[in-house]
Amino acid sequence: MSHLKNSLFLFSVFLIAVGIIFILAWLYATEYTSYADMKTALTTTTAVFGTLLGIITAGLMFTQGKFSELSSELGEKSPDYLADVLSLEKIQSIETHFLTLRKAFSQLAATTTITEEKNLYERISAKTSSMFVNFAVLLNLKLKQQGLLDTGLLVSEMDSNLYKVYEKERKSIKKEWQLFNIIRKIISTWEAPASFLTVKSSMNSGLQADLKSSISILKLKESVDKSSTNIRSEVTKTLSDLSDEISEISKRLHEDRIPQLLSQMEQAGAIRGKYFYLAVIFITAPLLINLLILPQLTEATAAFFKPIISITSSLSVMGVMFLLLYIHKILNV
Amino acid sequence: MKKTAENRIKDLFLKHSYPPVEVIIPILEKSGRGEQELSRQLYDTYVHLAIEIKEILGLKDKNMKTLVKVWGIITSFEGIKIQPIELDDSRFSFSVADCPMLHVGKDIPLNVKSKFCDLICTSAGKALLDTILSPYRGTLTWDKALIKGAGKCTITFESVKDR
Repeated sequence: MSHLKNSLFLFSVFLIAVGIIFILAWLYATEYTSYADMKTALTTTTAVFGTLLGIITAGLMFTQGKFSELSSELGEKSPDYLADVLSLEKIQSIETHFLTLRKAFSQLAATTTITEEKNLYERISAKTSSMFVNFAVLLNLKLKQQGLLDTGLLVSEMDSNLYKVYEKERKSIKKEWQLFNIIRKIISTWEAPASFLTVKSSMNSGLQADLKSSISILKLKESVDKSSTNIRSEVTKTLSDLSDEISEISKRLHEDRIPQLLSQMEQAGAIRGKYFYLAVIFITAPLLINLLILPQLTEATAAFFKPIISITSSLSVMGVMFLLLYIHKILNV
Repeated sequence: MKKTAENRIKDLFLKHSYPPVEVIIPILEKSGRGEQELSRQLYDTYVHLAIEIKEILGLKDKNMKTLVKVWGIITSFEGIKIQPIELDDSRFSFSVADCPMLHVGKDIPLNVKSKFCDLICTSAGKALLDTILSPYRGTLTWDKALIKGAGKCTITFESVKDR
């Protein structure tokens, strides 16, 4: 969802930028009257693009350095997490709990006829499945680290859709530190900030809060239908065990400032990625055009090159604005 | 590492939760039972929340100011924005533009929403008044304007002076 929003944002910025460039170019085109003016404009914008490219390249080197530094810091911490924080017993116990919850809530969702209640149980079931998959990925990494074979026991509990998600997650981990992305996802699914009263926020509530809500509901339903007593006791016990186990992981994750480090990595990654490519398109391309035009510009060809010079002049103004945005992003890393 | 007051309150809200009203009202409406249990759960939850928030923040006075502080924290953690209208030693009045009852399904009749609105406000209000103002007495009134379609609902806590 956020990716879609980002893409839409970038696309709108792109469209607005193109619009402004053409308006400015059209305005400037009428202003350039002489060959001398055009020559000055072309040399100045070429110098501006050259400077911008230099600064952006320096920024890229800085970001690359920061990215490597963060990745090695996280890389150093990851073996410790796999060896101690995520013990084999702990992962197996957590997975058993999630299987129990998934089974219980799938049954509850199937038996209830009230839409709101069904939605809550289905949401819990989906989140427990997602947690199950994420822990299965961690187990796979752990076994690999210890040089053990994955028995595939957890995989046998997945349907084809879950297995696809599992494979995708597993393959997405190319570097050791990327296991922290999975752990962060687990913690945020478990303890997403919850407001208890509004529907909008309950849709984004954490699994822990959803389970507590379901326990309250089951408790109330006991006064109507005694059959929910056993399920409530089972869910209450499972929730208590899971809370203890996951809160230990969460505590350690926050003590090690992993969420902050990951967020810095994401910012550095964005600067290395999309911001750099935008710089290449909007700065390197017009710079090359200018460099090609410069030797060809004579009084005879001035009229022919006039619109192009206008466009690259406008782009140089946009480039300076982009540079400010780029520097702002770098300072936030 | 000692937890901050904010973190302790956050934990408190995780510890004491009650069923989401948009889910529980259709269930209770269908079964026609369980209202007393909901009322008791809400009362217990708010009593625990109020006692523990007072303890965390070191609030000892049994007056309207303490009630306002505790209520402010509860509403902010519950995601409800309140707009104060009047505050003095004996009266605290505020309005809300959003409340859980607004999110209860459209197919639930107004009289049912109204009944549960009374049940929730009575239980929560009684819990806060009993915990914070006691041995002094107080009242809580609400106009149910939101569920009737108005933009804001006005809620008033008032302490009662014994003769």
